[in-house]
Amino acid sequence: MENKMGYNASFAEEVFRNVDSGDEIKMCMNCGVCAASCPLREHMDYPPRQIFSLIRAGKREEVLGSQSIMLCTSCYTCVVKCPRSIPVMDVMHGLAHYALKKGYTPRIEAARFGKEFWNQVYRRGRVDERDLAQRAYFAGGFWEGVKKILEFADVGIKLVLHRRMKLIPEKKIKGISTLRKMLDKAEMLDKGRSVQ
Amino acid sequence: MDKKTAVYICTGCGIGDALNVEQLLEEGTEEFTIDVSKDHPCLCGVEGVEVIKKDIADEGINTVIIGACSYRVNYDVFNFGPDVIVERVNLREQVAWVMPPEDENTQELAEDNLRMGCSKAKDTQLPEPFKAEEEYSKDVLVVGGGIAGMTAALETAKAGYKAILVEKEDKLGGFLGKMKQSVTMPYKELADTGAAEMIAAVEAEEKIKVYTSSTVEKISGGPGIFSVDIKNNGNAVNERAGAVVQATGWVPYDANKLDHLGYGKFKDVITNVEMEEMAAAGKITRPSDGSPVKNVLFIQCAGSRDPEHLPYCSSVCCLVSMKQATYVKEQDPEAVNYVLYKDVRTVGQAEDFYRKAQQDGNIFIRGAATEVGEAGGKLFVEADDELLGENVKIEDLDLVVLAVGMVPASKPAVTPRIKAPADAENADEEGMIEVLPDSGFFANSALNLAYRQGPELPTLKYGFPDSHFICFPYETRRTGIYSAGCVKRPMETAKALDDAAGAAMKAVQCSELTAVGKAVHPRSGDMTYPEFNMNRCTQCKRCTEECPFGAINEDEKANPLPNPTRCRRCGVCMGACPERIISFKNYSVGMIGNMIKSVNVPEEDEEKPRVICLICENDALPALDMAGIKRMKWSPYVRFVQMRCLGSMNLVWIADSLSRGIDGILLMGCRHGDDYQCHFVKGSELANTRLSKVSETLDRLALESERVKFVEVGITDYEKIPKIIDDFMETIEEVGPNPYKGW
Repeated sequence: MENKMGYNASFAEEVFRNVDSGDEIKMCMNCGVCAASCPLREHMDYPPRQIFSLIRAGKREEVLGSQSIMLCTSCYTCVVKCPRSIPVMDVMHGLAHYALKKGYTPRIEAARFGKEFWNQVYRRGRVDERDLAQRAYFAGGFWEGVKKILEFADVGIKLVLHRRMKLIPEKKIKGISTLRKMLDKAEMLDKGRSVQ
Repeated sequence: MDKKTAVYICTGCGIGDALNVEQLLEEGTEEFTIDVSKDHPCLCGVEGVEVIKKDIADEGINTVIIGACSYRVNYDVFNFGPDVIVERVNLREQVAWVMPPEDENTQELAEDNLRMGCSKAKDTQLPEPFKAEEEYSKDVLVVGGGIAGMTAALETAKAGYKAILVEKEDKLGGFLGKMKQSVTMPYKELADTGAAEMIAAVEAEEKIKVYTSSTVEKISGGPGIFSVDIKNNGNAVNERAGAVVQATGWVPYDANKLDHLGYGKFKDVITNVEMEEMAAAGKITRPSDGSPVKNVLFIQCAGSRDPEHLPYCSSVCCLVSMKQATYVKEQDPEAVNYVLYKDVRTVGQAEDFYRKAQQDGNIFIRGAATEVGEAGGKLFVEADDELLGENVKIEDLDLVVLAVGMVPASKPAVTPRIKAPADAENADEEGMIEVLPDSGFFANSALNLAYRQGPELPTLKYGFPDSHFICFPYETRRTGIYSAGCVKRPMETAKALDDAAGAAMKAVQCSELTAVGKAVHPRSGDMTYPEFNMNRCTQCKRCTEECPFGAINEDEKANPLPNPTRCRRCGVCMGACPERIISFKNYSVGMIGNMIKSVNVPEEDEEKPRVICLICENDALPALDMAGIKRMKWSPYVRFVQMRCLGSMNLVWIADSLSRGIDGILLMGCRHGDDYQCHFVKGSELANTRLSKVSETLDRLALESERVKFVEVGITDYEKIPKIIDDFMETIEEVGPNPYKGW
């Protein structure tokens, strides 16, 4: 069966209207400077330039399900270099939020790590290195967790020796409830922004 | 005129330290009658110039030979009016700055240079400017009444000259008059075309005489004395003009050849010109059923940048499609425009309009259309999307617009040849095919020149009139005829305005210079012109054939009929003439021959070879000066003889030099071929062709062919000059001394 991709302007319209900074995509001229300057390019399934092309072409699944939009570390290199002054980073975050809102589950470690990091901060007010690493490693399944632990055993031992990582669990900070209030407020504001 | 000659040697700028000036004045002028000879420590200073002026006034000196810097500097300082011949001998850039000081070879070089200068001054006569028998006209004929033509006429009038505007249609305006709106400076929004205002301005201007529904039947004469036959609504009119601006514009590329894009097959596939006409008429609808358009796709480069159709980029179609996409959006903000492009080329500030088109939400797809088809009453286009790397299909289209390119509305002198497609059977050995003469621009000649070399301006390979894009963009290969607007190269409104103004200024300049007997670019101001000694003409037609500017007509017996106002004074005819009957007052075959003869040729046992370098004054000589200024070093055995153009090189000089014992001849000229740099278009190419015949001479003298060499030197090639010279000297050393020495 012939499986030709049809161009379909409806997804582009959806992105222009609903995604935070989404209408900035209009200005992309596909020069590829963002892709060339991105330090995480090799870990991405589609470079930013191609994400923009896919949006115009109407490939909803590919875009919202891509790892790329979750990987952005906000280094700003693409924003600085874009000849059309597109805030590529904001667009990527906008897309990530939109994807999560639409129920797409992040398939990658970075997103899982981020989520766990947030949980730890929320729970304790600080990050427990050992606990965070352990949870992040085992999030992908038991055997993957064992493999990861063995892989990073050296680093772990050194961190303990240099007292950079404690083996006993970290305690909660004082006044954790005040911090939680702040974080709740921040999350609320953020959601409000992307829903707008 | 009785010559009283004075020689002045400047000892400044290191010349005095490098040379024995006393000996130079004695040895270098020995064979000539010199009335005054002096040296001065700073000849270009006030005191130095005063010395010369005093001698001119007191001693009646009328020929001044100045041994100092290059002729390219201080030309204003050493200008003593029209009655004094000034000959400059280069002792600085070619001698003192590049040769070892107080050296025997350096001294000999300086002496030879001075001897050549004396010899040249002896043969030089004061120019007598050409005056045509007819009265000169300074009016400018403008052919074509579109935006470029109207601007050229208005600019001519603004400069205080009369213009004659000839338009073939019944009203002025051209393509601009047919457009709905235009995109021009500052490229932010659509703007009114301004055609109506411009037409009104032209019609209100009393210095402009407008002929509509008219064609140019014949142009004869030359700059200053053009006689123009115009057919105006069937009546014959004659006008006289000093110069011509051709602004005949463009025609769209014939879309009937684009059936692979569905043109002619589907009613809803139209060209950008048809789209514009539809928009100007009112509403954009589907041509098939008149229903409104919702989805429009523009195919860019329809036939352009395609070796099988138009091989070049017309530079405006991207902007036009964005403009038309804006029409669609204005009509229906919900409509969707797709633009299928190879590269978006919105030149210069037009990029701002590209941004606007993107901001409007038009979807740009980079790729080439592979199929245009119809399904369920709507069109679809399949394309290879380069950015996604897959074949995509855009469906449900109401209208497909083909952005076709611009073809010059002139008749090319030669059938354009383009690179043949892979499967072409009729391609020649270079892989080229001739474009079939039905693509619009093979309409009738627009100028109908009564020139021996044809009725049209000679064109470049794509049918645009030949001119040097960078060095002299307005000049064509017909003196006094300037091209402007899209007939010269595809351009958009803003550029056409500038271009037309420039061409009008060149036209005015040309008629002013011609009226006082002066040449135009590149030898502007030159008052000499070629004079023919017709008694000895053998009707060989070489001059009429080779003149790059079609200046020489022919009578029925093949006698040359020179038109000095058409002449650019390159001397190509002089170099071509086997009988040597063509000469200028200050440049002739005999004069250069005598200069070469004045070079001293040492005996073989002295082991001092001598090489004559015939050097083009337009690019190669400035490059040599530059090498001198940079204090580069080269062989002291080379003697440079300045040429107006290497095309004026006559083979007799080479034969004479070699038979006198000169060991080698080096020719330095401009780059030739498709991207030529010759200021006279084909001078260096002709020199090279003539050189291929020099082997006969060499065979007759039983000499090696390595002794004569042609090299292309661009103005930026100064760093290569020492190596070129040294390599040639090495060759001469290998070949050995010329056996004719001392004969």
